[in-house]
Amino acid sequence: MATPVIMPRQGQSVESCIISKWNIKVGDQVKVGDMLFTYETDKATFDEESKLEGTVLAIFFEEGDDVPCLLNVCVIGNPGESFEEFNPNTGSEEAPAEEAAPAKEEAPVAAAAVASAPAANIQEGAPVSPRAKAYAQRTGVNTAFVAGTGPYGRIIESDVKNFVASGANTTYAASAMATSDMNGTGFNGRISTADLDSPVAAASVAAPVAQAPEYEDVKIPNIRKVISKSMHASLSTMAQLTLNASFDATNILNFRKQLKDVRETMGLANITINDIILYAVSRVVLNHKDCNANFIEDGTVMRYFKNAHLGIAVDTPRGLMVPTLMDANTKSLNEISIEAKKLATSAQEGTINPDLLKGGTITITNLGTLGIESFTPVINPPQTCIIGVNTLQTRVKNVNGEMKMYQAMTLSLTFDHRALDGAPAARFLQELCKNLENFNMMLIK
Amino acid sequence: MPKSQFIDQKEVRKSGWIKYQDTPLNQYNKTIEEEKANYSKEDFLRIYRDMFIIREFELMLNSIKTTSEYNGIQYSHPGPAHLSIGQEASAVGQAYVLDTNDWIFGSHRSHGEILAKGLSAIEKLSDKELMDIMEGYFDGAILKIVQGDQATVKELAIDFLIYGTLAEIFARETGFHKGLGGSMHAFFCPFGIYPNNAIVGGSATVATGSALFKKVNRKPGIVVANIGDGSMGRGPVWEALSFAAMDQYKKLWEGDMNGGLPILFNVYNNQYAMGGQTNGETMGYEFVARIGAGVNPEQMYAERVDGYNPLAVIDAVRRKKQLLLEKKGPVLLDTLTYRTTGHSPSDASSYRTKEEIDMWFEGNSVNEFKTNLILANVASSAEFDAIDKACVELITKICGWAVDTEKSPRMDFIKNPRQLEDLMFSEGHAPKLLDAEPDVLMPKAENPRVIQISKKERFGFDKNGKPVSKNKVFQYRDAIFEPILDKFYEDPTLVAYGEENRDWGGAFAVYRGLTEAIPYHRLFNSPISEAAIVGTGVGYCMSGGRAIVELMYCDFLGCAGDEIFNQMAKWQAMSAGVLKMPLVLRVSVGSKYGAQHSQDWTSLCAHIPGLKVCFPATPYDAKGLMTTALNGTDPVVFFESQRLYDFGEQFHEGGVPVESYEIPFGEPDVKKVGSDITILTVGYTLYNALKAAKMLEEQYGISAEVIDARSLVPFNYEKVLESVKKTGRIVLASDACQRGSYLNNIAQNISEMAFDYLDAPPVVIGAKNWITPAYEFDADFFPQPSWFLDAINEKILPLKGFVNTPNVNFTNNERIRTEKKGV
Repeated sequence: MATPVIMPRQGQSVESCIISKWNIKVGDQVKVGDMLFTYETDKATFDEESKLEGTVLAIFFEEGDDVPCLLNVCVIGNPGESFEEFNPNTGSEEAPAEEAAPAKEEAPVAAAAVASAPAANIQEGAPVSPRAKAYAQRTGVNTAFVAGTGPYGRIIESDVKNFVASGANTTYAASAMATSDMNGTGFNGRISTADLDSPVAAASVAAPVAQAPEYEDVKIPNIRKVISKSMHASLSTMAQLTLNASFDATNILNFRKQLKDVRETMGLANITINDIILYAVSRVVLNHKDCNANFIEDGTVMRYFKNAHLGIAVDTPRGLMVPTLMDANTKSLNEISIEAKKLATSAQEGTINPDLLKGGTITITNLGTLGIESFTPVINPPQTCIIGVNTLQTRVKNVNGEMKMYQAMTLSLTFDHRALDGAPAARFLQELCKNLENFNMMLIK
Repeated sequence: MPKSQFIDQKEVRKSGWIKYQDTPLNQYNKTIEEEKANYSKEDFLRIYRDMFIIREFELMLNSIKTTSEYNGIQYSHPGPAHLSIGQEASAVGQAYVLDTNDWIFGSHRSHGEILAKGLSAIEKLSDKELMDIMEGYFDGAILKIVQGDQATVKELAIDFLIYGTLAEIFARETGFHKGLGGSMHAFFCPFGIYPNNAIVGGSATVATGSALFKKVNRKPGIVVANIGDGSMGRGPVWEALSFAAMDQYKKLWEGDMNGGLPILFNVYNNQYAMGGQTNGETMGYEFVARIGAGVNPEQMYAERVDGYNPLAVIDAVRRKKQLLLEKKGPVLLDTLTYRTTGHSPSDASSYRTKEEIDMWFEGNSVNEFKTNLILANVASSAEFDAIDKACVELITKICGWAVDTEKSPRMDFIKNPRQLEDLMFSEGHAPKLLDAEPDVLMPKAENPRVIQISKKERFGFDKNGKPVSKNKVFQYRDAIFEPILDKFYEDPTLVAYGEENRDWGGAFAVYRGLTEAIPYHRLFNSPISEAAIVGTGVGYCMSGGRAIVELMYCDFLGCAGDEIFNQMAKWQAMSAGVLKMPLVLRVSVGSKYGAQHSQDWTSLCAHIPGLKVCFPATPYDAKGLMTTALNGTDPVVFFESQRLYDFGEQFHEGGVPVESYEIPFGEPDVKKVGSDITILTVGYTLYNALKAAKMLEEQYGISAEVIDARSLVPFNYEKVLESVKKTGRIVLASDACQRGSYLNNIAQNISEMAFDYLDAPPVVIGAKNWITPAYEFDADFFPQPSWFLDAINEKILPLKGFVNTPNVNFTNNERIRTEKKGV
């Protein structure tokens, strides 16, 4: 019996998903567990496995289409069975299976380019010469889209050069995704499946590139759009300013050293400096309710929270993501460490539950591992504060008339001056620093 | 083949008999009593002492090897120790007669000879001479270690000799050659002890070359090749005998050069060739001395002497040395002796009976001589006991020093990783090696070849770009001739020889014109004895001269395998830089003459550490590289090609300069600039590569950069890497068979060093892995211009519309198939 496959809903806030890649085509035999397609929300990527056995009878959307959740995307059944009744694109005059995307016919340039391209030359996993690889890296070309003309289909330098020089190749590349294995490549390379958001856009990109091969226009992936929008909104709507203060990190460094020694015997996680700071923030912020709040409803309401829900900024291959560590103040240092790691991993793998990407009361972002000494973190609205963690630096201080070297760490606190004033923000930062300098004492409580 | 000698048919076809002289066997029969007139008591006792020192030295090594202990000194010596217990009288007797101008060359079993000759030199040299030698050797480094409370300079010198030898055996940096020679290659030139040789009979050709050096450069003294009876089975030894006995020394060489080589082939006949018994089993001569009768009419003045009696040996060697000083060499001496220990300590002597060993040991030369001296009332038994005791103490003292790693450190390759690397080549620049006036026959300007060359065009194309005719152009062979002629007029030590070098002017006319200019003793025809040609060149050069030897066809290189690979290549480093090897070996890669006359064996030479290898492809490069080779102090295998001898210069603007210039080894040369693909060639293949480059450019719009390697060792990769970084692609080609071609090495190194720049793997093109078929099949066997395109199309860059050469196939499957088959 012909059965439709729907676009799943991932999290309550998700309304639609983009089909990143089809792993099947009409006529394919599928078994239970076979991968049908991958799809992405603005923050994560998911695989959809088949729950049925049978033949693929119809596919209603193309890669890159933004499909509302719960809509039918394809049909699996026995050959000959009817499937048209499952087509969500009712009203279309054309046969939906092959030409489902209504925008398709508006992209004649792209279609022509595909037709003229020697599709056979793009080989899945084609070898790439070291020189071509290096050239592709310099010019930002993803060689998965490049047709190899060297021996054994090897992609050689001239192939990449031609690819860059030829505008048609950009659209060609995009369309080639329909037949090549794209796992992960969309995020590593400059060209993403998100390019196919709208075939019209793809076509319009193609034309100018063909005339001006000196640069490359790449469509922005969804996640970038989201980041872009929220960053701009944050800075343009709030009154942000940043305070910097440093603390003597000797105590936490020693503490961490001790932890290392007992880690195995006590069965502890690998507790990092960042975990220690998360722990300190979760405790200290409760004494500064303006900093553990959301400034909402156009600045008419402050929502104070009883518990600290820490947003943790994570650098992922797709871009910045901020999963939330809920009720951090109720968790032990070890628990915080384990959970923070789990959140970061799933964010990086793109498998995170979208519901965990919101609900934070204050965010911690760490650029210290990249050697940053001070910066102005941008607040994640509607939160009121964000704490930036910087690198360790060797400093000297006067201890009883003697110059003593020590390791210092600077924290950069950006706060929304609409929601609170400088003094309370500074007090929060000061208390945080004091506590970190005497971290052992915090643990006693 | 001199015209002065007429081969008269009537004469040579006459019937008659060869008459032989009787060969003396152990004819010495004097008693000690009779010899008292010739030897003082001190002489007798010194002979005994020297024999006893050798005996104790070897017993010490035997004890260390078999028990890791000697007189309470614990030491383990993993290296070789071929002991000469039993042969003491032979060594001491010979050395007694020789002075420091007389040079000995030995074998793997020569500890005794080193000590005997050294002790003899110490006895004969003045205290000042001894101090000068010891202070001058490695700036007195060894002297500083042994200098202590010795009562006399001679005592100090004896400590120096024994210590330098033992430290060398124990691989100490304080040994005579920093431990790089070891037991089988220990020597000490200042005492006239020249290299001992681990290759059986290896010294025969080398010592002959040294005798040639003494003769040609009018140096005093004779040369002794101490070889074993086992070496009489080796071809190179027979070649050395042939070379040493050439008629021309006595019949064609002129003036003071007329007369035989001052060489004594002394066979220490210990009657065993490792485990083979030479008389009765592995040879057929019965007596080594018999061989002399087969070599020349003088029968090499061969005789057998009782090597167990030092006085008999002294008597024989003294007479033989006199013959040599009278220019009657070569001489052969069959010094009968016996080694009572095995070939080495691991030899269980399973090939001989205990009775036999006991008999020779009980009647050993040291004891016998002592008994005879006591019976003749030369000295009392107590006096001998005192000598014995002193010698044991001496050896014990020196052994203690040599095993002490603080006093006698080994080279430290951690502290100084380049210590040995820096000794592989001497890298000297010495345009002449002696200051004497070179012997020549005419002013250079009057030489007919020089006059002929002066009329030639020195660039291969005329003003309009048209090729100059072969007869009018300055050819590759002229470019090799010119620096060689110049060097003959500059360096008095330079000699050149090989087959057909004189009169004919070399089989390929490179030396045409030299015969008129250079006397016999500097340019001569050798017997067809490749091992001797190269081996004597090695001996000539390590003695202080410069030689160019020629092997005619590269394919004959195998006939001189040991001499090229083990002698020519190794002695600079094995001597820790004491010896120089300014030997140029000319090797011509053949053409048209089939499987045994057409091979490019540059790869074999490039594989062997210690040889410089070059293969110029143009007259300009040939002249510059030959000049460099002849000004240098390192061994060079100079490859030429018979396809190239009549080529004019096609690249160097202005043609080949008349004046002298050098092209440094190791610098490849860009012969054609290009941008899309690099082609690196060796030798003649350059010209096919250029044709291929033209096809690539005209038919496929691909611009090829063509680089001529010029040298294989050394080789500067920088220029090639620079090119590959530009083009991203490289084909390497030569006429050597593809499998094992040295170009595979270069390709591999390029892959490693320019990996990220490569657009395709480097591809090596070589000849097929077959025998070279007849000339008519050259295009099926040697790389052709079209083969480059095949390789490029298959491995690097598919060429649109290219049609494969029918008989070549660069696919992986074909490679797997042929390699599986071994072809």
